[in-house]
Amino acid sequence: MASEQIALTLLMGALLVGVVAFITRVEDWRSYTPLAGGGGGTAEESGYAQDEKPGGLVRWLTTVDHKDIGMLYGTYAIVTFTVGGAMVMIMRTELLDPAATLISAQLYNGLLTSHGITMLFLFGTPIIAAFANYFVPLIIGADDMAFPRVNAIAFWLLPPGAVLIWAGFFVPGLAPAQTGWTMYAPLSVGVGAGTQGGAGVDLMLLGLHLTGVSATMGAINFIATIFIERAEDCTWANLDIFSWTILTQSGLILFAFPLLGSALVMLLLDRNFGTAFFAVEGGSPLLWQHLFWFFGHPEVYILFLPPAGLISLILPKFSGRKLFGFKFVVYSTLAIGVLSFGVWAHHMFSTGIDPRIRASFMAVSLAIAIPSAVKVFNWITTMWSGRVRLTAPMLFCIGTISNFIIGGITGVFLAAIPVDLVLHDTYYVVGHFHYIVMGVLGFMTFAGLYYWFPIFTGKMYQRTLAKWHFWLTFVGTQFTFFAMLLLGYLGMPRRYATYDFPIGPVDPVTALHQVATLGAFLIAIGFVIHIWNFIQSWSEGPVLDDEDPWDLKEINQYTREWRWHSRRLETTIADGSGEEDSDGEGERDLATDGGQDTDESDDSENVESTDS
Amino acid sequence: MDEQPGLSEQYRRVSAWPLFIALGLPIAEIGVLFGLVPIAIGGLLLFVGSIAGIVQESGYVERPWNLLAGLGGALVVLGAALALSQLPGFSPGAVLAALGSNGLVVRGVSIVVAGVIALGVGGAARFVEQEPI
Repeated sequence: MASEQIALTLLMGALLVGVVAFITRVEDWRSYTPLAGGGGGTAEESGYAQDEKPGGLVRWLTTVDHKDIGMLYGTYAIVTFTVGGAMVMIMRTELLDPAATLISAQLYNGLLTSHGITMLFLFGTPIIAAFANYFVPLIIGADDMAFPRVNAIAFWLLPPGAVLIWAGFFVPGLAPAQTGWTMYAPLSVGVGAGTQGGAGVDLMLLGLHLTGVSATMGAINFIATIFIERAEDCTWANLDIFSWTILTQSGLILFAFPLLGSALVMLLLDRNFGTAFFAVEGGSPLLWQHLFWFFGHPEVYILFLPPAGLISLILPKFSGRKLFGFKFVVYSTLAIGVLSFGVWAHHMFSTGIDPRIRASFMAVSLAIAIPSAVKVFNWITTMWSGRVRLTAPMLFCIGTISNFIIGGITGVFLAAIPVDLVLHDTYYVVGHFHYIVMGVLGFMTFAGLYYWFPIFTGKMYQRTLAKWHFWLTFVGTQFTFFAMLLLGYLGMPRRYATYDFPIGPVDPVTALHQVATLGAFLIAIGFVIHIWNFIQSWSEGPVLDDEDPWDLKEINQYTREWRWHSRRLETTIADGSGEEDSDGEGERDLATDGGQDTDESDDSENVESTDS
Repeated sequence: MDEQPGLSEQYRRVSAWPLFIALGLPIAEIGVLFGLVPIAIGGLLLFVGSIAGIVQESGYVERPWNLLAGLGGALVVLGAALALSQLPGFSPGAVLAALGSNGLVVRGVSIVVAGVIALGVGGAARFVEQEPI
């Protein structure tokens, strides 16, 4: 025991000494623009402006530039998406047959819990932050985020969060949390004989807490940036739709995530220090459900609204028309934001709460269908009579709308108490919310990555691979999640590692699980193609000099971030530091996913029009 | 951005502190939650030290030492409150006796120790530092 303490002390001492050494070493370039006000000027540094960003790894460890941090968020989110995806592929393979043949039920439960938490907290929120970090300041004409250093802190809290959340899998002696992502008491309090009393759950809760702190810091930053850092010509009246959704989302985070943090601390205290917040004889296990879902339902919209903003942003670019009913899309965003705090108990219809309270929550939940439908109809109307160009980002937008219709309408059914009592805790619920989180958030992540690929990389992606990616993902999504809806109708409970039941329709359940697994593999193949496309196009693709690869000027939608991109290209060329384009032909070929049509014979690039 | 396109690429946009704040917080959390005294003390020191550093770097204060000492003082108060809440009254003997049996006292004392170190370093540097700024 004493030797352990000494070892830990030495370890911590070495870490602190290392930190001090690192800080003193980087002190040499420690000079800044007066970001926070009150700092010194930059006159004395102007002579060596070219050297100001340190090179290599140190640059990425120390950056506070919103674009760099956006890239870090994006890289992190792609890595976590891969990890979460790998977890679910193991689970889906296990579900190919009714018995537990591949992995144990305990490992299945651990993977299930981590898959949910990884995708929602380590992928969902960060990938939105990636887009928002990179583009909101550019779109609203800000120099940077309002608090650049806070921005960096918010990002750097995430990797330790991921390590803690996954710690149960790789730290010897620990078991992964098997609580489900909802962490319902009394299981999560450590009651019972399983592994739920172990430190793996504590570490997971701490990691979750860190990601919550990170999201809250990011949200404060976005709110401050959008309120006070806008350019003079960017008013509330002409603020773009993506910034509106980020602003609304940040408001939701600000009210929802601190509550999650508090509830997690209460849970940790219950687990480790003998408090009774969620004990039957204390605050009751139902208190956890109320607190969790007061956060959890807004979380759904935290993950939905920015992707919806991306649709509203990207869809008009390839429809040749402005967004139909812009104001009403903004109003619907705000309405969803407000209503999202009044629906949490629809997750608890089957807990035996007062039927009068239940009915009021049903009414508000059903009411959310109205602003959601406003969005859908506005998107469809934007495309109506438009000059639709089926580029990869546009395909993902259209796919998202169809997914959202299925995911949204199944949600309306679930909001109705009688239906919910039948379908509660079945695969129907899993299918429903995956149509939103994969079908909307996942799809719009890909749409955003393709749409802004030229800005991130200065290159263009390979359009054939991108279309393979879309169709595999789209078909796979329908296979997987529609099969889940049907499984729910058959009464298949969620979160089960096996379905070798002595009664019930095992054969159709097996067949539907196999369809779902097939779909999951299609999505996985599509994702591998996407990653390949992304890395290869970035590293080997010819430089794209075209300042307007999507021909946005023609339709008068050449927005601020593209103007910034154009100025950057001009500056780079003027500096002579940009790479020369030695392969003009290849570059034009690559630039034509909806952009310049240089190859008359290429049918896939012909503009499709719905004019009639 | 608007007036001088591309120039933002050349500005110094670096700070070494955010990484360490983000590292200090989880280390401190783990240390305090599990009662690992060296981890708790080291994590808290990293956390408050980095806060003092980043505030100074941002230009809100000229030197970090007062803030470091102040944060150390806050830790002392917090840790002492936690430890004393478990004891009938303050006496060194009672604290030492409780260290072996009461986990909350261990955690409280580790927070106090971190606070005292921060207070000491901040206070000493405040007076030792001779160089004009």
